[in-house]
Amino acid sequence: MEDARQEVPPDTAEAIYDTLWAASEVPTRAPEGIERVMLAEDKLYVVLAVVLIIWFGLIFLLLRTDRRLDNLERELEDRIPEDASYE
Amino acid sequence: MTTLAKRIVQGGPAGVNVRRYRIIRNIVLVAVTAIAIGGFLIDVPRIQILEHTARNLYFHVPMWFTLMAAVTFSAYHSIRFLQTGNLVRDVRAREAALVGIVFGILGLLTGMVWARFTWYQGTNIWWNFDPKQTMAAVQLLIYGAYFVLRSAIEEPQKRGRIAAVYNLFALVTVPFLLFILPRQAPSLHPGADGNPAFSDFTAPEMRWVLYPAFIAFIGLFWVLYTQRVRFSLIKLRLHGDSE
Repeated sequence: MEDARQEVPPDTAEAIYDTLWAASEVPTRAPEGIERVMLAEDKLYVVLAVVLIIWFGLIFLLLRTDRRLDNLERELEDRIPEDASYE
Repeated sequence: MTTLAKRIVQGGPAGVNVRRYRIIRNIVLVAVTAIAIGGFLIDVPRIQILEHTARNLYFHVPMWFTLMAAVTFSAYHSIRFLQTGNLVRDVRAREAALVGIVFGILGLLTGMVWARFTWYQGTNIWWNFDPKQTMAAVQLLIYGAYFVLRSAIEEPQKRGRIAAVYNLFALVTVPFLLFILPRQAPSLHPGADGNPAFSDFTAPEMRWVLYPAFIAFIGLFWVLYTQRVRFSLIKLRLHGDSE
């Protein structure tokens, strides 16, 4: 690792990182299992996984809010049987 | 429970039908999930400059279609308020405009990010007053003023009437600011000034995701909007005013 660092011409940060990665020769073996799917298409599917995690989190929040609204509406029906004038 | 009380919270004149809401909500949540999956999994042609960002089409463009649907919907309820004086209509007009603006802001932000790494690649420019973007920003300000106007008036009926009239004028500006004016000017946005419009360069397979995405995101707007309407109707019933 130390040798690889010294060989790098210190032009830009990108060059250093790039050469470091190339020098350490990853991946050491062909991807298998879930990696064969997730690393395809320039790792595009990793982004899909991230987007879906966020989206499912938002769905969870939305459904919880709905449940609270259900309860609130029910409570309101019980407590205020007469119409509060709104028009 | 009296019928009038029931009407305000649930069915009745312009109230929320909670059972119908739940059904549509579940369909919409599945549909948007399907759009996200389809948007990533279906292969797109790699075009110069765009590359994988072509997939933004599925997410950025529906934001603006949703804004247009939302403000049209909002204006409809403004008309109904002017006809009936039913404050539920005013609540619906307001919430539709509000959720619509949120989609518009998301459209503007996603457009900025997309433009930064395509139109302005290598320049470090995030905002260059492209006519399309500028007019879109003005459009959002016009709807922002709707809420400023609302906040200035105390009496609910008067507030509702004045805001409704403003809302109708605001809707008239939409086709001009989002379509007509930007297309008169030299813009980098597709469809402007001799640039290829959507139909010329969009691969046919992308339409299989794009068109359902319009429906799915307008549906998502409807879900968020209806949720807010339910909340505001509870408030209206408790306080006689929803703001």
